[in-house]
Amino acid sequence: MIDLNLIIERFPAFLGGTDGAPIMSTSDGLQLTLELLGLSLAFGLLLAVPMALMLVSRNKWVARPVWLYTYVFRGTPLLVQLFIIYYGLSQFDWVRDSWAWEYLREAYVCAILAFTLNTAAYTTEILAGQIRNTHYGEIEAAKAMGMGKWLMMRRIVIPSALRRALPAYSNEVVMMMQSTSIAGLVTLADLTGVARRVFSDTYMPFEPFLTVAGIYLVMTFALVWLFKKAEQRWLAYLAPRKH
Amino acid sequence: MKPLEHDLAVGAAADGNTKLNVIDLHKSYGSHEVLKGVSLTARAGDVISIIGSSGSGKSTFLRCINLLEQPHSGTIAVTGETLKLVTDKRNGALKAEDPKQLARLRTKLAMVFQHFNLWAHMTVLENIIEAPIHVLGVPKDEAIARARKYLEKVGLKGVEDKYPSHMSGGQQQRVAIARALAMEPEVMLFDEPTSALDPELVGEVLRVMQDLAREGRTMVVVTHEMGFAREVSNHVIFLHQGRIEEQGHPKEVLAKPKSERLAQFLSGSLK
Repeated sequence: MIDLNLIIERFPAFLGGTDGAPIMSTSDGLQLTLELLGLSLAFGLLLAVPMALMLVSRNKWVARPVWLYTYVFRGTPLLVQLFIIYYGLSQFDWVRDSWAWEYLREAYVCAILAFTLNTAAYTTEILAGQIRNTHYGEIEAAKAMGMGKWLMMRRIVIPSALRRALPAYSNEVVMMMQSTSIAGLVTLADLTGVARRVFSDTYMPFEPFLTVAGIYLVMTFALVWLFKKAEQRWLAYLAPRKH
Repeated sequence: MKPLEHDLAVGAAADGNTKLNVIDLHKSYGSHEVLKGVSLTARAGDVISIIGSSGSGKSTFLRCINLLEQPHSGTIAVTGETLKLVTDKRNGALKAEDPKQLARLRTKLAMVFQHFNLWAHMTVLENIIEAPIHVLGVPKDEAIARARKYLEKVGLKGVEDKYPSHMSGGQQQRVAIARALAMEPEVMLFDEPTSALDPELVGEVLRVMQDLAREGRTMVVVTHEMGFAREVSNHVIFLHQGRIEEQGHPKEVLAKPKSERLAQFLSGSLK
């Protein structure tokens, strides 16, 4: 049977509470998961916009490196990428001797780096697809109005592609949110990390993992709702006409 | 070689009043030559209709004028300034030597497209103020005032915040005309502006174009509307297989065609 008392008793731990301390007194659990997700999505999107522009370039010396990048990061498991960055980099003396080592030895930084590079690869492909899908007539109109290439990209192509990318990007965000659950495997106490800690304390697997599954489910609903609102605002032009 | 009389006609017309002067334009797709030396001179206030059956090269010619298509030879001058052209190594056609000059000349040649080509993610107002603000550098409040003025001119009210996809084709085309007008261009190029419209919507767009012609705007119109060519334009060019087969005042050309092909073409069109 499910031990409800255990769930209730241990629930604050998922929200950063410790014995005798209120929730949010540490950044464990929910806060860490949200930080990993938010930061890697933000950095990933910042990387993805220029990389998508490079990927659609007619110059193959510009497009090929990005193609290779997205191919590698979409073609290998995120967990492997995380392990390579967290465990693998320390093998190299030049990495350990560099200024970056101060950051790269932190599991937190490694996780954000791995998640950022991974989501950037997927987001680049989503965006590049929408840039290629831009209605040719809209590009001709921009040219005919005297817009240069960069102005046209900045004012017409990218804003339009970002909007049309929203539905596919919302899937990417939900997938990424669930992918942050592997952060526990490099010592981080994210939501799943906390669940594993409770499991090893109590030898009760069902209760902590059921709890954490419920929290992820609520977060998924929240994200889907947010994206629905965003689509209503920025994709209103694709909605059926209202009378 | 170009016919001599053709040269004379062009030379005689190019003076200080000339808004647009296109000389001996050639264009090929592969080995197929679609334009075999077409010239056109538009002086201030001219309304020139270009007619011809599909495949005659009339749209291609119009799109070569602002380099949406690359011609293979020829000269294009807008208000006396000749567009500097060089060979494009990628395809052997001509491209602008200086993209900035091309952009500047394009702002003087506003274009209205068959399929409107409004920016779908922008509202009507945003569509109209976009290029004046970001290309011409007009202050935002002035651009909005301009947009309202031209929306009124094309007979649209209360549509500023609508998206193009929520409007009828005729309304969208009138927004596109307002967008072109907001550039305050020297010449307006119309590429079959009514061909994509339902028959009952053609009239509202033609009426707007007729008003613009009455105001003395310089217009080059590729059209299938013989009524417009006859009533509104002061010069008609009939293109056939990439050449000007016949041209002149519509009263002459459309009423008493000299060439057999034009007579055939006119008898095929009902109006």
